[in-house]
Amino acid sequence: MCVNKTEKMSLAKIQAIVNQCDRCGACLTVCPVYDVAHREAAVARGRLATVRAMAEGGLTPDSKMAEAFEFCLLCKACTENCPSKVKTDEAMIEARQYMAVKLGRRAKHRLLAGFLGNNVLIKLAAGTLKLSKKTGLGGLLRCVVPLEHTKAGYREMAAGPAAFPALSNIPHPERPHPGKIAYFQGCAMKMFFPAAAQATVKLLSRTAEVTIPESACCGMPHLAHGMADQAQALAKKNIEAFADADRIITDCASCGSSLKEYGHRLAADPQWAARAQEFSSKVMGLSEYLYDVGYQPKQKNALRVTYHDPCHLVRGQGIKKQPRDLLQRAAEYVEMPRADKCCGGAGTFYLDFPEASRKILSEKVKNIESTDADVVVTECPACLMQLAKGEQQSGRFKAMHISQVL
Amino acid sequence: MIDEKVINEFSQIVGARGLLNENLDLFTYSYDASFLPLLPAAKPDLVLKPQSTQEVAAIMKLAHKYRIPVVARGLGTGRTGGSVPAEGGLVLCLDEMNQILELDDQNLMLTVEPGVKTQDIYQFCAERGLFYPPDPSSLKQSTIGGNIAENAGGPRAVKYGVTGDYVMGLEVVLADGSVLQTGGKMIKNVTGYDLTRLFVGSEGTLGIITRAILRLIPMPKIRRTAQALFDSLDGACAAVSRSIKSGAIPAAAELMDQISIEAVAKFRNIELDPRVKAGVIFEFDGDSEAGLDAQIGEAERLCAECGSVQFRIAKTKEEEDELWSLRRGMSSAIAALAANRIAEDISVPRAALPEIVKRLREIAARYGLQLAVFGHAGDGNLHPSLLADLNAPGEKEKVEQAVGEIFQAALAVGGTLSGEHGIGLTKKDYLADALGETGMAAIRSIKKALDPAGILNPGKIF
Ligand SMILES: Cc1cc2nc3c(=O)[nH]c(=O)nc-3n(C[C@H](O)[C@H](O)[C@H](O)COP(=O)(O)OP(=O)(O)OC[C@H]3O[C@@H](n4cnc5c(N)ncnc54)[C@H](O)[C@@H]3O)c2cc1C
Ligand code: SF4
Ligand code: SF4
Repeated sequence: MCVNKTEKMSLAKIQAIVNQCDRCGACLTVCPVYDVAHREAAVARGRLATVRAMAEGGLTPDSKMAEAFEFCLLCKACTENCPSKVKTDEAMIEARQYMAVKLGRRAKHRLLAGFLGNNVLIKLAAGTLKLSKKTGLGGLLRCVVPLEHTKAGYREMAAGPAAFPALSNIPHPERPHPGKIAYFQGCAMKMFFPAAAQATVKLLSRTAEVTIPESACCGMPHLAHGMADQAQALAKKNIEAFADADRIITDCASCGSSLKEYGHRLAADPQWAARAQEFSSKVMGLSEYLYDVGYQPKQKNALRVTYHDPCHLVRGQGIKKQPRDLLQRAAEYVEMPRADKCCGGAGTFYLDFPEASRKILSEKVKNIESTDADVVVTECPACLMQLAKGEQQSGRFKAMHISQVL
Repeated sequence: MIDEKVINEFSQIVGARGLLNENLDLFTYSYDASFLPLLPAAKPDLVLKPQSTQEVAAIMKLAHKYRIPVVARGLGTGRTGGSVPAEGGLVLCLDEMNQILELDDQNLMLTVEPGVKTQDIYQFCAERGLFYPPDPSSLKQSTIGGNIAENAGGPRAVKYGVTGDYVMGLEVVLADGSVLQTGGKMIKNVTGYDLTRLFVGSEGTLGIITRAILRLIPMPKIRRTAQALFDSLDGACAAVSRSIKSGAIPAAAELMDQISIEAVAKFRNIELDPRVKAGVIFEFDGDSEAGLDAQIGEAERLCAECGSVQFRIAKTKEEEDELWSLRRGMSSAIAALAANRIAEDISVPRAALPEIVKRLREIAARYGLQLAVFGHAGDGNLHPSLLADLNAPGEKEKVEQAVGEIFQAALAVGGTLSGEHGIGLTKKDYLADALGETGMAAIRSIKKALDPAGILNPGKIF
């Protein structure tokens, strides 16, 4: 009975989105997945038609459909190009939730989500970077642990080995931001990019007083794989943990867009709606914030850098100008072709669909190489993991987090 | 249902890569961009993605042998159900035959495969100072094969004509798998029937187009866009006609009625002069600034004489894009006004524009429906869009009757059912009214001669 009710609600929510599609096909020209798969089931129009037919009783949910819904990067390229601005990513998230209730979740996703919901395990993983066998995630994640560059390494690149010793990191005496800012360190930053996270903290502390509250997972992976309840519970934890902050800054694009949606996500919960709204209004992405406070890098070097737009930053939060502007202050900036096209990492997409992910990455690598840049910069650990793979493939550039370059 | 053994035979031709038969895949090749309902789904039994003329020919031979319906498909952006497999069978998806094969820059001819996107053709030519003018609004996501099969056109038709005007020759795989070559790179050709023309607009019912030779022209050096707003729709129509007659032929002249303009204004939060009852977006092109200035000056003068309340020339590329984006955003803006939008595609002689709009208004008023009218004023092709909530009781029937009357009105003023979207499934019922008995008999006998077994896109057009 209870399941039926939530099922119906979920269906109603999906229908409201998918019914707006008039099947014009404009998404066929921009969807990175369709680009490599060439099947109608793998483009927004096909996904939406499938959901619609399912909701209207014309298709019976099965594992092929579940897979088709997973086979989406949630990159929003379709929405941006759609005359009716249909939110296919939201429809896919809802549809995954619906399928999860109907068919059960994929064990792999359950495991991953359970893991990301558990701070102790994350710390364990981050502390040793050798993933505990006990989590059962060792096999799943072993292949993905990327190599990480450090800020010192970047400086060395910029200056050459015979350069002066690295400048000491004395925090700026005048801090342009008066309030208290809190750094939201997402799971992937904790686990895979501790050095970049540290660089973020250093950057931030030049602008204001920084605290690092104990954060829970932002909930995005849970939402993306049909575990909305857990996503809400995590949101509440974070709202409590960050109650004191004037601003909440994250250096992960996915976390950022997830955190900015808390207000929306908890809008139906009278106890939490207002607090969630307030929380979300305080959230800013790293470059969004640095740009806002007029951050000036201490020096400009002669390295060539290019920038890859994380989907969750450029389309998810409309942040496009800020990182470019900051990079221009720090190095020689070159724009790559189709900088805002998804790199194919997309959460667990690369684990679920390695072949398609690799093809999408190959195009990204080609575009990066065409700029002759020394470094490709981005502002999302998920992209950074994917770009690190691109770095290994190509050998012609390094992939770094923006915090390590500014 | 196609026998397992036969599926195997098809798979020998295209390989596992080119064959889709999972239920979900079949479903997603059951629709196009028409407003036909998704359900019950007109699922094909098999989807094939050939990569060469030889593969298409082999497929057709087999399909002919087993009498399996074959529905050609480009990218499924047709608005009348043309690529919907209404009677099951094979969907022959040509989107992977997408190579530009040859540019003959002596003769200004381009040879292409059917799955090339129209935008890619435009772009390829533009980069070389050449111009392929036909510009259906769907040019980014539709294929040249689909454009030829629907004889697609766009705003530029007023000056440059439609797809068919640029098709010089075709390679077509016929129903029995034999391969026909029509036309060629010569401008003059009176050698037998004009078979090229026969396949233009044939909606996949006569053969599968596997190659096309397209005529190109030099790219005009400069373009300019202007927007004129009028205090009456008659005035707007008259301005376009007089402009053409004066020799200031616009490369495009897009008409919008009051409801369409208001829809866009609302969608974008723009203040609108209350006097505005209609608008036209003009594009002019040419080879010299002086020539363009003269054309635009003339158009401005004529517009003023016809009661324009504003004439705005785009000064920068951004302003130009802004004006065009108003036009391109029109469908969506209008769609946002109601639960359903039923857009038609009638075409009338240019001089009958004011009369047809008057009649359309009367029809809408009689049925108590909202109606927005916009379209290509330059060539008389209008998209009257009825706004309704098809789930409301009685509304669907009302809309159906109103659509019937819209077609009658178009025929009555000397026009026809479709300017660019074709007949497909959605306009079949009205075809006899437009063509008459003799016309119907003539196209039936053509169909019989070329496809005696009736396997090519059965159930379409008639
Ligand atoms: C937003 C939007 C705007 C549009 N604007 C315009 C416009 O301005 N002007 C206009 O004319 N149309 C317009 N259309 C309609 C549509 O885009 C055109 O009809 C287009 O030509 C269809 O191309 P397609 O590749 O999608 O073909 P499909 O829809 O896949 O097929 C259309 C028809 O062509 C046949 N066909 C396709 N390929 C072949 C082939 N190789 N050989 C034989 N038959 C074939 C199919 O069987 C079918 O009957 C618009 C559609 C949309 C969604
Ligand atoms: S672009 Fe938007 S409306 Fe068009 S088919 Fe894709 S999702 Fe649907
Ligand atoms: S969100 Fe990205 S991957 Fe998913 S359908 Fe849209 S464009 Fe394709």
